[in-house]
Amino acid sequence: MKLMIMLRQVFVMVALALSAFAFAQGNLEINTPAISALQKSMQQRHAQLAPLYASGALGLTADGNVALRDASGVPMAQRGQVNALVAAENADRAALYREIARANGHPEWEAEVRNTFAQRWVERAQPGWWVQGAGGWTVR
Amino acid sequence: MLGIACTASLAAGAGGLMLEFGRLAHPAVVLDGLSVRLGGTGLPGAIRVGRLTAAGHVIDDLSFACPKLGISGGIVSCKDARLVIPGVIDDARVDLTVNPETRSGSITAQSAHWGRFEARLSPDGTAEVRLHELPIGALAKHFPVIGDFGPGGFFSGRLSYHRHESEQVIALEGAVAAGRFSSADGLQAAEHLQLSINLGARSSGPAWAWHTRMDWTAGEAYLHPLYFTAGPSLSARGRVESGRVFLEHAALTLEGVEALELSAEIDIETAQIARGVITVERGDLAQLGPRFITPVFAPAHAESIRFAGLFNFKALIAEGALEAFELSLEQAGFSLTDSALSFGPVSGVVPWRAAGETRVALQVDGGRWQKLELGPFALDALLDGPRFRAHEISIPILDGRLLLSDLDLGRQGTGWSGRGGVVIEPISMKVLTEAVGLPPMSGVLSASMPSLNVRPGEIALEGALVISVFDGYLQVTGLQVLEPFGSAPHLFGDIEARNLDLFQLTETFSFGSMTGFIDADVLGLELAHWTPVRFDAALRSSAGDYRRRISQRAVENIGALGGPGAALAIQRGFLSFFDSFGYRTIGLSCKLRGDVCVMGGIVVKPDEGAFTIVQGGGVPALNVIGYNRRVDWVELVDRIKRVVESNAAPVIE
Repeated sequence: MKLMIMLRQVFVMVALALSAFAFAQGNLEINTPAISALQKSMQQRHAQLAPLYASGALGLTADGNVALRDASGVPMAQRGQVNALVAAENADRAALYREIARANGHPEWEAEVRNTFAQRWVERAQPGWWVQGAGGWTVR
Repeated sequence: MLGIACTASLAAGAGGLMLEFGRLAHPAVVLDGLSVRLGGTGLPGAIRVGRLTAAGHVIDDLSFACPKLGISGGIVSCKDARLVIPGVIDDARVDLTVNPETRSGSITAQSAHWGRFEARLSPDGTAEVRLHELPIGALAKHFPVIGDFGPGGFFSGRLSYHRHESEQVIALEGAVAAGRFSSADGLQAAEHLQLSINLGARSSGPAWAWHTRMDWTAGEAYLHPLYFTAGPSLSARGRVESGRVFLEHAALTLEGVEALELSAEIDIETAQIARGVITVERGDLAQLGPRFITPVFAPAHAESIRFAGLFNFKALIAEGALEAFELSLEQAGFSLTDSALSFGPVSGVVPWRAAGETRVALQVDGGRWQKLELGPFALDALLDGPRFRAHEISIPILDGRLLLSDLDLGRQGTGWSGRGGVVIEPISMKVLTEAVGLPPMSGVLSASMPSLNVRPGEIALEGALVISVFDGYLQVTGLQVLEPFGSAPHLFGDIEARNLDLFQLTETFSFGSMTGFIDADVLGLELAHWTPVRFDAALRSSAGDYRRRISQRAVENIGALGGPGAALAIQRGFLSFFDSFGYRTIGLSCKLRGDVCVMGGIVVKPDEGAFTIVQGGGVPALNVIGYNRRVDWVELVDRIKRVVESNAAPVIE
């Protein structure tokens, strides 16, 4: 049940971020199969990431990525696995930004898409999550 | 002995003797406001220092109070003295015995923060210090470099110092228990450390020669992104001279490595490696790959990369940067389980230099991609910094060959970019279909794609992949792969098939029996995660004069592909009288968008939702008409599979 709630949360976050982006850019088709596949991959991973966001081990960076900001609360033997999760999540995020830009027929928009998403991720972070801004890390 | 400069005043009274020094100066230490009060035997005594300056460190208000001073036979002793050094030692209990004449004595100190300390000075110049459970955290306040890592744990051991004429010898033997440290972000950390340490140093001039051995017997550490557990031992020797540490030789024992050796020259002030060499002999990739290679180079694929074989490695570091390395592989193997790609065993040498070109020579004795076995091939390439060039790589695949030519790739920012060419020398379809588990077919597969373009997350091929099969051909053009190793790989392309012999085709896939020829086009094909999600496909009878017959079973199967709404323009009873029928033309189309296929035929009647798939001709003749234009793609694929696999008669409404 908890997993379903978390999955729903991340789905809503991705959907809201997508819709916000689409709104900001106008008539953009964003619901491609690749985006769906990436969303699915990210949703599946979110079950593992959510407690790490909540504990402050992970934070949302200003460039639309996830970062290992305080690993001290993670058992030492699992820090490598968390790092692997972060790398996989960031790879998916990079692919997502690239895919949305491509889907719009403008691969050169990738950086703009990334920036837009970075803002949306931060705005929609849950209370207790850490986000990176111009002044460094802050907790929401 | 020590050129001490001092000014002093002396006062004597009934209570004892008071010495006051305005300043006591020595090149290594300066004492300001020093006062010594001697109460005489059995009376209290005290030493106070207003300010102590040594090696740039300042300590104010140092006090040593002796409740009962003993002076007997030239020996000064004190029990239960209190030593206070603000900010360093809050309150240490001290027992002291000193013979000023022989310059010998002993001191024992104990405090809650510093553990127990015993020192013994011998007349021959030997000093020995024993430390019992010295809290390592107590050192942190005085050494900011380690203080940032919040060290903890205890050190117990013995330190001895001996001086004979100009030679000095230091020996340290000890152990760390319950050691720990952590950077603020937890990315450099260790817990539950147990270490044994032996260190020796000798000097007969400005240089010190040293040797050490350390054994890590318990605990774990994470030095981002690497995780270590106890087991390694380090033995090393070198010297310290002219502001540099010369690590002449170090050997580290590590599970999975036969020998790991280092040498280095380190600038003490900048902590930079001015010059260093690291060599690894016979490293076991199966053990070391997941622990050290994947976390550094491909953490996102940590779960899917597998290693095998042995390697040797040598790297040179100059002025803090990697200058060159040489990696040699012995029967090494690499596989990506999530994309079913593997290479190995691989043997050979990969040399690299930061400046200049090097030649890679590897012998790859096999591999696999999906279900395709790769034969042995040689990889001869040039490395130039982040650039990889190969004139030709010839990879045997089944009875054909994949030729990669004029590859020129470079690592930039987020990925690889570059260009090259691809040719597939004919692979027989008989062998290929057998290898991938398809029904046997005749013909060959070949490709000529002279322009291979690689960009981060994208591989595009210009040219054509051609399969000559069923006496016709199938041509794939406009191939493009996006995110080939990501979560959502995409493949785009256009397929054109011409003059495929229906008899061979239907026999091969157990689809009944048909005679004639068809053409087909699949335009705008898009596979997401290797599953079709978009295309405009159409097949139709080829032009020409040829025999056109369709078996009863084939009619039923075609009807079934039209979905539950499909119907035949004849009655089941009538159909059973004949084994085959004549037809004039066949046409079927599918426009796939997402998971819905919008079907069509030779003729579409939009108002009725009907479409003609087979238009009859000759005697006996029949029409096959579909009525359900929107079909779930997954369901359609399942239906085709069922028809092909079981050759069972579908339901005809």
